[in-house]
Amino acid sequence: MPTANTEEENSKSELQKNHGGGGGFTRWAVVAVIFRLALIYFPGNLNLSSRPEVSTPLTSIRRLAEGYWLKQSSMSPYAGSMYHGSPLLLSVLGPLTVKRIEGQPSHILCSLVFVLADLISSILIRATGRKLQIAYRKSLKSLNLLNKSTDSGALSSGDIAALVYLWNPFTIVACVGLSTSPVENLFTILTLYGAATGLAPLAAFGWVMATHLSLYPAILIIPVNLSYSGSWFYPPAPLSPEYTYAPPSKLFRSKEHGKVGDGKSSQEIIFSWRRVFHLLVWTSLWSVYVLVLCSISVKQHGSLQEMFQRTYGFILTVEDLSPNIGVLWYFFAEVFDFFRDFFLIVFHSNILFMILPLAIRLKHRPCFLAFVYIAISSMLKSYPSVGDSALYLGLLGLFLDELADMQFSFFLFCGYVGVSLLSPVMHNLWIWRGTGNANFYYATAMAYACFQIVLVVESVSSMLNHDRKLTKLSTSKLQK
Amino acid sequence: MRSKLPDAASSRKMAASSAVVAILASIWLCSSIAADASGSSSETTMHTNNWAVLVCTSRFWFNYRHMANTLSLYRTVKRLGIPDERIILMLADDMACNSRNKYPAQVFNNENHWLNLYGDNVEVDYRGYEVTVENFLRVLTGRHESAVPRSKRLLSDEGSHILLYMTGHGGDEFLKFQDSEELQSHDLADAVKQMKEKHRFKELLIMVDTCQAATLFNQLHSPGVLAIASSMKGENSYSHHLDSDVGVSVVDRFTFYTLAFFERLNMYDNASLSRLFNSYDPNLLMSNAYYRTDLYQPNLQEVPVTNFFGSVMETVHTDSAYRAFPQKNTPRETRIRTGNTAEDDSRRSILTDMTKAECPFTRIVSSLESKMETVGNLDSLVNYGLVMILPVLVVSVWLST
Repeated sequence: MPTANTEEENSKSELQKNHGGGGGFTRWAVVAVIFRLALIYFPGNLNLSSRPEVSTPLTSIRRLAEGYWLKQSSMSPYAGSMYHGSPLLLSVLGPLTVKRIEGQPSHILCSLVFVLADLISSILIRATGRKLQIAYRKSLKSLNLLNKSTDSGALSSGDIAALVYLWNPFTIVACVGLSTSPVENLFTILTLYGAATGLAPLAAFGWVMATHLSLYPAILIIPVNLSYSGSWFYPPAPLSPEYTYAPPSKLFRSKEHGKVGDGKSSQEIIFSWRRVFHLLVWTSLWSVYVLVLCSISVKQHGSLQEMFQRTYGFILTVEDLSPNIGVLWYFFAEVFDFFRDFFLIVFHSNILFMILPLAIRLKHRPCFLAFVYIAISSMLKSYPSVGDSALYLGLLGLFLDELADMQFSFFLFCGYVGVSLLSPVMHNLWIWRGTGNANFYYATAMAYACFQIVLVVESVSSMLNHDRKLTKLSTSKLQK
Repeated sequence: MRSKLPDAASSRKMAASSAVVAILASIWLCSSIAADASGSSSETTMHTNNWAVLVCTSRFWFNYRHMANTLSLYRTVKRLGIPDERIILMLADDMACNSRNKYPAQVFNNENHWLNLYGDNVEVDYRGYEVTVENFLRVLTGRHESAVPRSKRLLSDEGSHILLYMTGHGGDEFLKFQDSEELQSHDLADAVKQMKEKHRFKELLIMVDTCQAATLFNQLHSPGVLAIASSMKGENSYSHHLDSDVGVSVVDRFTFYTLAFFERLNMYDNASLSRLFNSYDPNLLMSNAYYRTDLYQPNLQEVPVTNFFGSVMETVHTDSAYRAFPQKNTPRETRIRTGNTAEDDSRRSILTDMTKAECPFTRIVSSLESKMETVGNLDSLVNYGLVMILPVLVVSVWLST
């Protein structure tokens, strides 16, 4: 297929033009790692790991150290309701919390693990961005909409997204503040990378591990399935996976009615159930493996049921009501016991009922659908932290081409900056000085939730506007 | 155009992998079901400990005998094995150090002064004006202020046998406290009912030595309560003898003959409650000792007195180390008996063996588990598993491209 090869060569050459951009990314990535290390070795006490914005009952390293100590004392790590994470994470990070090296800051090994996780996440975001951009350009070319002005400049959107992820103050704070969010984000990004590149075992592994660590990435099974087994826009070369974007099917129908085809075979949206089954097989294989490992790990002093009760049950029943930047703790502190179960169902279905309409509307853009799911679950989960926001803000950078016309972007930027500055102040006023009360802190949490909602709504609407414009342009070109 | 060859290979791979998945899932499911089945146990309360609440409600020097009654019971109960932690002793007045006591710091219950009841190790929990109806009911029901120390609380559980002994001046459906207030029969019945609701006892023996003591039990309805009184309605309970040296009567008849019964016993005797109750002679007591068994299930001839008056516990010898959480499959534990009757076995629960696994998969899994227990460190197995993830991932990714 000569045309396909030239297409590949063209996109590769365009990306080669960003070779300078590749060097730029490497430079900035190295500086980001050095910056993190500098903050870790900072002699003063930033006290980041005790801030509620950074460490939640699920991600705190002190709780992990406590769980590891309990395990070493021949007790179940879940005794005493301190640790609520995965036993596998305990086996990996637990020994690192205990190991102390002379002259180095405490938990230095854990910090290095988190810095490494951030670095790998950014590399994976960059690779995902490249795949997305290749697919985007291909789709534009086939609709004959590509012109030189859509060349995005020195850095591709993947590079921008990776750098946004690395240099986002939220990510840096989550990494230096020793929360386990970088590890959870790594597995979520690995899922998206596997889905984008069409590697079912990788995507399944990332999804299983992300769900195992924190429950909410379970909803990503839908965009991963759509991405892996869904619409092909361009007939791919043997097993080459570029199916991350396809415009709506009515575009193809108009094309068929329109001018004579230029030799390319235009395909309708094909949803292959065989590939869904393939992905589900890999998912179940990995989940059996992880569950077997967990059951071996908890066998001595507990049971698998206890593990599920203390991890997923803890997340779903919102047992811990200490303040965080989410909206659940304040509400559940004052709800009557009689209504508690009802409101638990309401709050959790707040995430669940948005899954289906978004999936229907955005099924032609699985990566963006994943971004919207991650944003919604980061906002409405039981114990959110800035590490969760870091993830979706990084993924936002992947869609900069499509979201260029987003409204309120400056307002949102100022809002995020303002909330992240005010929230620790309000916490200090409430807890340490005693001159404020919980409403001060919850006000910033509510403002933060509002800003996140505006971000999600605006990004979805601008993405849909972009698609409508593409449709209009291509139909107008067809009619010419 | 997609070639057919990768499809065939991938479909064969998918079939193999789905078969593996099915087998692993069924193994895991069977093991979880078996674990659930062997873990279920029935709930019967076992006799766990013995408590004694001994109350003397009278003030003033001429009520010396009530103090001596209570202290005699205290000594008996301690001698037969109940430790001080599980005795609540309430004495309304101090006779031993009373200025009218010719023998300071000594309390006798017999004119031969053979036995000093107020020895070195008498621990009085409620003394003097603390012995009120309110405190007595708080002790029984466990509803204390938060500042009350543990030594003043009745910390019994649902397997406890409690002996409640009260002595003083009483009458028709009341018992006088401190000469200023009274405990009525419905108060006592209400407190016992609360105790039963809160599972604060398994069996309760109430022994009362006052005038018309039997009327105090009229309102009792809770099951598991055995009550014995020194006299019936319309009868007085009399003191036994006067000690002309001390100057007052030193013991009551009912308590005197109770002590006479117990002095012949030691910890290992299995004299039954029916023998105790039948030992009271109305001619000697000058009143009719009345006991009430309608609320008490077990046969009095089979209940040893040490079930209430002593603390004879069964020792369980285990070979395994103490674990924080109970394991589902515990090895059989041996028991050391302390010489009790064989009928007690029926009331004690016996630990069961590991249930035999029925499903062949669970047999495989249990053999795997036993092999794993011989493996030194499960953590190293988990670490191997975690390390193996990486090559498995790389291989699977390479296979699927």
